[in-house]
Amino acid sequence: MKTIPLARWALAIVLFLTMPSHAWAHAFLDHADPKVGSTVTHSPAEVKAWFTQELEPVFSSLQVQDANGNEVDKKDAHLDDKDKQLMIVSLPALPPGTYTVIWHAVSVDTHRTQGSFKFTLK
Amino acid sequence: MKTKKRKFIVLEKGSSLLAVSSAVFAVAGLGAVSAQAHGFVGDRFFPPTISTDDPFATDELLFPSVSYFKSAGDPATATIDGGFEFDKEIFPRFALGISGDYLHELPDGGPAATGFDNFSLSAKYQVWQNDAHEAIFSIGGEWEIGGSGSKQVGADSANVFTPMIYFGKGFGDLPGALDYARPFALTGTIGEDLPTSYEPNNLDWGLALEYSLPYLQSQVKDIGLPHPFKDMIPLVEFSMTTPENRGGGQTTGTINPGVLYETKYFQIGAEAIIPLNNATGHDVGAVIQLQIFIDDIFPKVFGHPLFGK
Repeated sequence: MKTIPLARWALAIVLFLTMPSHAWAHAFLDHADPKVGSTVTHSPAEVKAWFTQELEPVFSSLQVQDANGNEVDKKDAHLDDKDKQLMIVSLPALPPGTYTVIWHAVSVDTHRTQGSFKFTLK
Repeated sequence: MKTKKRKFIVLEKGSSLLAVSSAVFAVAGLGAVSAQAHGFVGDRFFPPTISTDDPFATDELLFPSVSYFKSAGDPATATIDGGFEFDKEIFPRFALGISGDYLHELPDGGPAATGFDNFSLSAKYQVWQNDAHEAIFSIGGEWEIGGSGSKQVGADSANVFTPMIYFGKGFGDLPGALDYARPFALTGTIGEDLPTSYEPNNLDWGLALEYSLPYLQSQVKDIGLPHPFKDMIPLVEFSMTTPENRGGGQTTGTINPGVLYETKYFQIGAEAIIPLNNATGHDVGAVIQLQIFIDDIFPKVFGHPLFGK
């Protein structure tokens, strides 16, 4: 195993103590639009998902499924041009129902995470 | 992923050993293009717990863990314990670890004693996991190295081998009607102490019941929790020892309610230590622990096995 220079350990400890409280090294979902578990009255044009880390676009995905597990998004999931922590997928006009948003994220430090949430369209 | 397991073994008058501490930990899988470290199973992040071990075998550094607890016995003894633990994934899903505790003991009516408790080595193998059901099962064991600690603090000269099983289950697969129960997760351990001296065989068992606010916020319902609460995981742990023979007495253990707080490169956790019964102790203690995510700090060195992928 490689040895770690003492100075790097010291730097790491300083970083621990000064780290912003809300950061995770892995990319977790921070918030989304529509909100996680929310009920909306108009069919959203897209789903936006903000993550806690910048993502690797090639290995990250965002998908929306209906209650039968069919993918209903426009299969154009992509990162926002200016904000690499924001992933977006477009939606057609959806009928009322409960939809599941499924995401797989690979952060720029290569850690992968996954998750899902629902929203309901009335 | 790792954790500090604590055993509060209270012996009868004349016994040299008042309390024994030991430890362990964890693993993670590596994809071809990406790494998955820490304690992930499917959508679930299982945090390293404080008083009981978790089922993951991954690179981890616990430093420091500081606790105070006054155990029953004759005499009753208050112990300040400063501990550490380091785990390294050797092969995929297989990790080895070492842990130690520096004790400052204050027996009622007696002189204080200071020194290292016996060091422990551990091994763990992640046997099975089911991502869809957030379930995991591991096997492993610990070896408390007899005579490696200081006799002044009662470190036993005999070895103790403890084969163990570990499990974890998240409840994210509950039906929609139970949405708010989905952030719950349970981890647990069962181990059997096999001392090489005429000490009691003990059944060590522990549970950790946690409620993940990050899981609630990101997978179930965005209730608008602000920082720092959205990064907290309240939990209660049960750490028990049941002697089976040789006059070991009744079950002792502690119930530990607390909270874990996750940040980018470390987790800090704190728990109260509530004695299960009078045979364990009479006073509430406390523990605070810093878990350093070395795989995130030094991703080129840690976060993957030494051999294999």
